[in-house]
Amino acid sequence: MKDKTFYYSFFIFSFSLLWLTSCLDLDSDKYFVDRKTEEFVFTDKTQSEQWLAHAYSFLTGCNFEVCSKGGTGGTGGDWNPFCFADDIYYGDRDNSYGDHKDADYASYNSFREGRYTEEVGYNAWVKCYKGIYQASIFIHRIDMLVGHDGMDAEAVEDMKGQARFVRAYYYWLLLRKFGPVPIMPDEGADYTLSYDELAIPRSTYEEVADYISDEMIQAAKEIKFTRRDANNIARPTKGACLATRAIVYAYAASPLANGQLANGQHPDGVTDDAARSLLNRDGTPLLSLSYDESKWARAAAACKDVMDLGVYDLYHVPASNSASDGYPVTVTPYDDGNFSTKGWPDGYADIDPMQSYRQLFDGDVTPVENYELIFSRVSNMSIGDNDNGIGALVLHEMPTQRGGWNTHGMTQKMADTYYMNDGTDIPGMYSEWGGAARGGNDLPRVTGFTERADVRKGAYPELQVRAGNSYGVDVPLCYTHREPRFYASVGYNGAIWEGIGNTTSTQRWYQCFYYRGEGNGYVNNFNYPRTGIGIRKWYHPYDWSESTNNGYAHLRPKYETAIRYADILLLYAECLNELTGTYSFPSWDGTRTHSVSRNVADIKRGTNPVRIRAGLPDYADDVYADANLLRAKLKRERMIELMGEGKRYFDLRRWMDAPIEENTLIYGLNVFQGKAFKDQFMQVIPVFNLSSVFSDKMYFWPIAHTELKRNKNLVQNPGWTYND
Amino acid sequence: MYRSKNLSLFIIGLSFFCLAASAQNVIEITGTVTDETGDVVIGANVIVKDVPGLGVITDINGRYAIRMQEYQTLVFSYMGYKNQEILVKGDRKVIDVVMEEEKFSAVDEVVITGMGAQKKISVTGAVTNVQMEDLKHYNTSNLSNTLAGNVPGIIAYQKSGQPGKNTSEFWIRGISTFGASTKAYILVDGFERENIDDINIEDIETFSVLKDASATAIYGSKGANGVILITTKHGKSGKVAINGKVETSYNTRTITPQFVDGFSYANYINEARVTRNLSTLYQPVELDIIRDGLDPDLYPNVDWQNLLLKDGAGSYRANVNVSGGGETARYYASIAYNEDEGMYRTDQTLRDKYDTNANYRRYNYRLNVDMDITKSTVLKLGVSGNLTKRNSPGIGDDRVWGQLFGYNALYSPVLFSNGYAPFKFTGTVIEYDDVRTFIGDRANYINPWVSSAQTGYNTEWNNDTQTNVTLEQNLGFITKGLTFTGRFGYDTYNFNSISHLRMPALYTARRRNPDTGEVEYSKVIDTTDMWQTSANNGSRREFLDLLLHWDRTFAQQHTFEANVKFTQDEKITTQNLGDDIKNSVSRKNKGLATQVKYNYLGRYFLDYNFGYTGSENFADGHRWGFFPSYSLAWNIGDEPFIRNNIPWINMFKIRASHGKVGSDTTGSDRFPYLYTIADNGSGYMFSLDDGNYNYGGTFYSQVASTGVTWEVAEKNDIGLDITLFDERFALTVDYFNEHRTGIYMTRNFLPTIIGLESAPKANVGSVFSQGFDGNFKYEQQIDQVRLTVRGNMTYSKNQIGEYDEENSVYPYQNLSGYRVNQVRGLIALGLFKDYDDIRNSPKQQFGVYQPGDIKYKDVNGDGVINSGDECAIGATSTPNLIYGLGISAQWKNFDFNLHFQGAGKSTFLTYGKCVYAFSEGQWGNIFKGMLDNRWVDAETAQQLGIAANEDTGAAYPRLSYGANSNNYRASTFWLRDGRYLRLKNLDFGYSVPKAAVNRLHVNSMRFYVSGTNLLLLYKKFSTWDPESLQPRGEDYPITKAVTVGLQLNL
Repeated sequence: MKDKTFYYSFFIFSFSLLWLTSCLDLDSDKYFVDRKTEEFVFTDKTQSEQWLAHAYSFLTGCNFEVCSKGGTGGTGGDWNPFCFADDIYYGDRDNSYGDHKDADYASYNSFREGRYTEEVGYNAWVKCYKGIYQASIFIHRIDMLVGHDGMDAEAVEDMKGQARFVRAYYYWLLLRKFGPVPIMPDEGADYTLSYDELAIPRSTYEEVADYISDEMIQAAKEIKFTRRDANNIARPTKGACLATRAIVYAYAASPLANGQLANGQHPDGVTDDAARSLLNRDGTPLLSLSYDESKWARAAAACKDVMDLGVYDLYHVPASNSASDGYPVTVTPYDDGNFSTKGWPDGYADIDPMQSYRQLFDGDVTPVENYELIFSRVSNMSIGDNDNGIGALVLHEMPTQRGGWNTHGMTQKMADTYYMNDGTDIPGMYSEWGGAARGGNDLPRVTGFTERADVRKGAYPELQVRAGNSYGVDVPLCYTHREPRFYASVGYNGAIWEGIGNTTSTQRWYQCFYYRGEGNGYVNNFNYPRTGIGIRKWYHPYDWSESTNNGYAHLRPKYETAIRYADILLLYAECLNELTGTYSFPSWDGTRTHSVSRNVADIKRGTNPVRIRAGLPDYADDVYADANLLRAKLKRERMIELMGEGKRYFDLRRWMDAPIEENTLIYGLNVFQGKAFKDQFMQVIPVFNLSSVFSDKMYFWPIAHTELKRNKNLVQNPGWTYND
Repeated sequence: MYRSKNLSLFIIGLSFFCLAASAQNVIEITGTVTDETGDVVIGANVIVKDVPGLGVITDINGRYAIRMQEYQTLVFSYMGYKNQEILVKGDRKVIDVVMEEEKFSAVDEVVITGMGAQKKISVTGAVTNVQMEDLKHYNTSNLSNTLAGNVPGIIAYQKSGQPGKNTSEFWIRGISTFGASTKAYILVDGFERENIDDINIEDIETFSVLKDASATAIYGSKGANGVILITTKHGKSGKVAINGKVETSYNTRTITPQFVDGFSYANYINEARVTRNLSTLYQPVELDIIRDGLDPDLYPNVDWQNLLLKDGAGSYRANVNVSGGGETARYYASIAYNEDEGMYRTDQTLRDKYDTNANYRRYNYRLNVDMDITKSTVLKLGVSGNLTKRNSPGIGDDRVWGQLFGYNALYSPVLFSNGYAPFKFTGTVIEYDDVRTFIGDRANYINPWVSSAQTGYNTEWNNDTQTNVTLEQNLGFITKGLTFTGRFGYDTYNFNSISHLRMPALYTARRRNPDTGEVEYSKVIDTTDMWQTSANNGSRREFLDLLLHWDRTFAQQHTFEANVKFTQDEKITTQNLGDDIKNSVSRKNKGLATQVKYNYLGRYFLDYNFGYTGSENFADGHRWGFFPSYSLAWNIGDEPFIRNNIPWINMFKIRASHGKVGSDTTGSDRFPYLYTIADNGSGYMFSLDDGNYNYGGTFYSQVASTGVTWEVAEKNDIGLDITLFDERFALTVDYFNEHRTGIYMTRNFLPTIIGLESAPKANVGSVFSQGFDGNFKYEQQIDQVRLTVRGNMTYSKNQIGEYDEENSVYPYQNLSGYRVNQVRGLIALGLFKDYDDIRNSPKQQFGVYQPGDIKYKDVNGDGVINSGDECAIGATSTPNLIYGLGISAQWKNFDFNLHFQGAGKSTFLTYGKCVYAFSEGQWGNIFKGMLDNRWVDAETAQQLGIAANEDTGAAYPRLSYGANSNNYRASTFWLRDGRYLRLKNLDFGYSVPKAAVNRLHVNSMRFYVSGTNLLLLYKKFSTWDPESLQPRGEDYPITKAVTVGLQLNL
C-alpha cells in the first residue's frame, strides 16, 4: 500500500512540477496574428496608400487656402476666415444682420475686431498635428513596402517624399497661422511619456522655417516627379516642395520674423511689441529681434530653385479675333511700345490677358493642363463643400436675382488698387482716406455712366462680353478702361453675369446693378454686398444657379490655387529688392550656387511675366531704381494678382502693414441709394457695418486654452489670454 | 481546514477491515450522561465509532442504552461539549459519562488564510474571521447586506430594495483607488466568484476577510482591494445530521417617499408659474373641480404610490441540508429556496395568466463529497449552483419607476371612466402604427398602472453551475508534515431573458365637448397583441490550483511552515462578443505564491510571502509581477513576566506587516498594449476626377499602450489583538495605510501636438488612503443570563495623489488632492433677500435669477459666479465610516439579539425631477413636506392668497417652472448628509427544551422572530432612506422586514 501511494504521489508531484515550469508563461500574442498589423498595412500597396491618404486628409476644411469662409462647425470647427482682409469681405454669418447660423464670432466683423475667442480655430491646429503624426508613422514604416505589390524602392521613396511634404506643409500652415510652433520628434512623439515630458515648447520662427526647408529639400529629393498625371495630380511634385520652401523663407525674411522694424520701412504706430513679448518660458525670443538681410537672399535663392526647375510658366491663352459665348474677342492691351510688340514670353502681343487670368480660376483649365499651378487640393475641395470650397465662394459672389447668396464683396480700396489699362492709377485712387499719402492720388473721381451710343461704337470693348450687343450700357465710367484682371475679378455695378449654361434663356446675360430696390442691392439683411462692389473671380460664364439651396449643381469644378508660379515670381522680385549686398547660396540639390543681389534684370524675371500676362506695361525705370518705390509696387501687384487667394491676410502681417492697412476704415459705395440716384450711389463713403481694427494680438491666431492647459511649456501668442 | 474540536472525528481509528475480521459478542451498554455541574444532559449523541447508523441519544433523564460489540469505541458528543471516546472492553456494561464543557479559546481559534487554516494566535497579518452565527441573524437572501456594521474592515451600503437587485456594495477598508475596480477578490472554496450573494448563507463554513498585504500578497495582481475567503461545509463522519430552516418575512419599506395630493400640486404649480411671471395653469374653477373631485376623467386625483405599491410583500426562505458519512466517504448536501415577492399591485384578472410583478426566486444547491481514496489521499467533489428567476412588468422596471415618480396626482386617471387606458395628452396627438417606436418615444405618457399591469411581463433566468474536484495527498512519507492539494474547478454561467410585451389601446382625452359634456377621445395606438424579444449571455471559467504545504515543529520550540502554490484561471465570455477577435480571448491569469513562516515558542512570529502573478492582458515584459510582503508578530502576553505577573491578560499580541499587492484590472479594455488599425478614416482624392484614386483613410483608431500593467498597492498595517479576563474580553484594532500607484487610466489630456486620434492608456493615478478598523467582544454571565456585547468600526479616508487631468486654473478644481468620489459643486449662501442683495452680490452667470433664488459664494473672488467657483463640498458619496454595535443575551431557552449599525462621513447631492420641483414641467411629482418652508415673495403671496415667506434661510428657493439653471445645479443647497444610525437587526428566539424535542426525535428546535431595518434611530435626511444614497430618490426603497422562522436539527 505504501508503495502504491508513493508512486501515486510521485506521479502527482512530477506532474505538478512539469506544470509549474511549463505554465509560467502567458503569451496572448498568438491570438492576434490575424489582426491588422502595421506589417500588414505597410506591405500592402492599397493599405499604404490609404495610410498616406489619411495623412493628406487633414489638408481639408479649415486648412484649405483658397476657399469661402468656412463651415458651421462651432467654435472649434472648420473656420477659415483668412481669405478676407482689407481686400474682400463677407456679409453673412453675422448675427446682427439676421444670420443666426453660427454664433457672433463667425462674422467678418468679429474677426476684424479680434472678438473671437482663443478656442475659435483650434481645429486647424489639431488637424495639422494629427496629419503630422500620421505622416511621421508613414515615413518610418513605408520602407517595408519595397518588393510588395510591385513597388520598387523608387516608387516607395516617392510615397515617403509625399508624406514628408505633407508633414512639412502642415508645419507651414501652422507657422503661417499660429506663428512658431512646437516641432515634434521625427518618428512621432512617444505618447507614453509623462505630461511634463510631452510639454514640448515652441521652437523659434527661424527653427521652424529651417526645419520645413530641410524637410522640403529631402522631400524634393525623394519625390520623383516634377509633373503628375491626371490620376495623381493632387500629389506634390518636386516643385511643390521647393515652392513651399521658398515661401517659408520669404516669410522668415519678412519684417515680422526678421528683426521687425530694423530696416525702417514702417511709419509711426507700427511697433514690434508683439515680437518683443513673444518669448518662450526660458526667455528665448520666438521671433528674431535683429534684422538679417541674408534671409532675404536665402529666400530669393529658394525662389530661384523653383524657377530653375524649368517646368512652370504663367498660364496664358492666345489672343482671339473670333468670339463665342463667354469667350469674347481679345481686347487689345495697351500699346506700350515694348510688351505690345512682342509675343509671349517677352510681351503680350499674342495673348488675351483677361482670358488668361480668368481661366486660371474659373475652371476652364484643369490642373493637369495648368502649367502655372504648383500645389492644389484639386478634387478634395468638392464644389459644395459646406461653405469651405471655392464653389461656395462663387455661389456667395453671385447676385440674388440669379440664385446667388450675394454676400461676398470687394472693398473700394481693392477696386481702386486695380490699374487703368495703361498702367496708370485711376483718378481719385484712395482719395477719401489719404490719397497720395497712402499711395493713391487726390484727383477727383471719375463720374458718369456709359452711354448706349458709345457702347455701340465700341468705345468700351472691355465691357462687351458678347460681340455685337449693347451690354455695357449704364456702367459707371470708373469701371471702364481698367486693366484686364479687373474684368476677370470684379463684380462691378453693371457687370454681366453670363449664366450661359442656364436652361432658361431669359435668365442668361444678366446685367447686375447693386442699386437699392433692384433686387441685388441694399436689403434689410445680409444678402447684399455692403460696398456695392461684388467679386467675379472664379465665376465661369457658364456657371449658373437655380436657387441658393441647390446652387452647386451647375457650377464648373474649380481648382484651388494653393501655390502658383506667379506668387513665386513676385516673391523672387520682392526678396531681391530688399538686398543691398550680394549673397551666395547653394541650390537645393547642391549642384550649383545661386548668387543673388538687387539686380534689376533679375528682378524683372520676377515682375515682367506677371505684368505681361496682366496686359500691363512694365514699371518705370525710376521705380526699379528705388527699392522703396518698387516695394510699394510689388505689394500692390500681389494684392491685385493674388486677390481672394488667401494670401493678403498673411502678407499684411508678415510685412507688418496690417496695423496701417487693417486699421483704416473700409470704404464703399453709397448703397442706400436707388437707381434714380445712381450718381449718389457711386459716391465713396465709409462702410460702417464693416469693421476694420487691428491690434497686435491679430498678428497670430490664438492658441486654444485647451491646448495651453495640457502643455505647460506652451506660450500664448501676444495679446491672447491663458486659461486663467 | 477542520475545526480543532472536530479533529478527533477525523483521527484515523479502527478500520472496517478489523470489524469484518473479528466476530465479537454483542453487548448492551447503558449509562447516564451528565455535565460538570451534575445536571443530566438530554439529547447527547452516543454513537459507535465508525459504524454508520449505530447510535442513540440520551433520554430526558440523560440515560442511554446501546447495543454494540466489544472493543468498539463509544463516542459521546453534545453541542458545546467536548467529545469523549471510550473503548468498550472487559465487562464494564454501565458507562456513565461526565461531559466537559468545550471552551473556545482565542488561542485555539482557527483562521482561514490564503494558504489554508492556521491558528489565530499565529496570524501575523490583518485577517478578520467572521462569525457566521452573527450574520445568520439577518433574514436576508443576500450575504452582502449583512456585512455593514458586522465585519470590521468593510465599508458597505445598500442601494436598492428591489428583489434581485437588493444587494449591498462593499469595499474592504474603503475605496483606495479610482481605477477600474474597487471590488474585493472573492474566493469560494479557493475559486474566484463575482459576488457573494449567490451563495446560500447556510452553506458557509468559514468566512474570512484578508485585509493587509501580508495576507493578500500571494494573490499578486488580484489582491489589492482585499480578499474574501469563503469555504463551504463538508460532511463529518457519524450520524446523519439534518438541518432545516424555514422562514417567512413580511417586507415593507423603511421610508416610502410621500407625495402631495392633486389639489396641493395644482396650487404649487400655479405658484411656480405666477412667481416667475407666467400665467397660472389651473383656473380657479378648475381648482374647485380638483378639490372636490368633480371630473375624474380630465381632473383626476390619483395616489399613484398607493395604487401601485402594496403595503408590503412577502419573502419565503427554506433551507435543508443533510450531512454525514462513514470512514471512507462523507457528504454534505443542501438545497435552499428563496422568494422575494414584488411590491406592485398587479391586475388581479391577469393573475392566473401570468405574473407581472417584480418577483425574484432563487434556488441554491450544493453537494460536497469527500472520499478517502487511500489512507493518505482524500478526493473531494463539489457541485453547487444557483438558479434565479426574476420577473418584471413588460415595459420594464425602470420605466415603471420613472413613471411612478413622474406622474403627479392630476396627470392622468388610472383608466378613463369608460374603461379606456389613458395616454397623457400633451397638445398634439400623433397616432402610432409601430408599437416599438411608440415605446421608444412615448413610454412616459402611459401611466404607471397601465405600464405595470397591462404591458406584459419579462422573465430573466440565471443559471450558474460550479463544479470542482480537490485532491489532498498527505506526503508525510516523504517528509513529515508535507501535504499536497490540487484543485480543479469548472463553472458555467448562463443568462436568458424573454420579454413578453403587449400594449393596450391607448386613448387621449382632449376636452369635454362644450355642447354635450362628453369627453372627446382620440386613439393614439391600437391594441397590440403580445409579442416577444429575447436575449442571452454566458461565460465559462476554469481554475487550477496546486498547493504544496509543509509544517513541522522542532524541539517543541521552532515551528516552520512553508507553502508553494500555483494557480491558473481562465474566464471566457461566450456570447455577444462583437467582431474584434480580441474580445473572445479568455481572460487568463497564472500565479505562483510562496509563503514561509516561522515561530519561536509560539511567541515570536515571522512570515514572509510573495505572489508572482501574471495576466495576459498586458504586453510581454509587463505581464508578470512580483508582490512580496512580510509581517511580524509578538505575543507579549505569553512572555513569562506577563504570564506570571498579570494573569488576567490572556493574549496581548502586536502585529505589523508591510508589502505590495497589485490589481490588474483594466475595466472592459482588453489588451491595451495592442493597437487597432481601422480603414474608416478620412481619405484623399489623388485624381482629378477618377474615383478609383480616391483612397479611404487607414489609421490607428486606437494606439497601443505597450507599457500598461497592474496597479500597485503598498500597504502597511499595525495591529493589536488582546484577550483579557479569562477571555471574556477580546479586542482587535488595526491601523492601516495604503499607497496605491499606477492606477490604470485613459490619458485624456495629451497635448494635441502629439497628433493622436485616440487616447492611450497608462498607469498614472495614485491614491493614498488610511484608516483604522477594529472590533471588540465582551461576554458576561449574570446569573442565568449570558450577555455578549460586540462592537466594530471601520474608518477609511483617501486622497488622490495623481490623476489624469489637465491643469485647471483653480487648484481646488483639480481632482488630485481630494478624495475619490468627492462631491463637487457651488457653495450656497442661502437665498437672495431682494434686488439690492442681487445688485450688491457678484453676478451669477447661470441664468436669470430673482430674490428667493440661491445665492452662491464667489470662491475665486473674481466677482462673478460661474463654473470656476465649483469646488469640493461635503464629503464623499460613499460613507467613510461604518460602525456597528450588537448585544446578545441568552436566558434559559430564550435568546435575544440586537444589532445597531450606523454610517458617517458621507454626503450626497440630490437632484432630479422630484427634487427640483417642476424642473421638467408637469413631469415629476412633489415630495410631501419638501416645499413647506419655501420662499414665497410678498407679491405672489398676495396674488394667490397664501402666506409670504421671505426668509433668506428658507429650505427651498422661490419656485420655478421648467429648467432653472441658477437654482438647479450642484451646490451645498442640495447636498444632504448621509449619516444614520439604525436598528439593523432584532432577533428573538426560543429553543424548545431538549426534553420536549427529544421525544420528537429532534435534536433541537428553535422558533424565532426577527426584524431587519426596523428603526432609523438617527438621521439627517428623511425624504428617503439615507443609506441608499440615491440622488433622485426615485429607486426602489430599501425594505424593512419582520420574519418568523423555525430551525430544526434532526
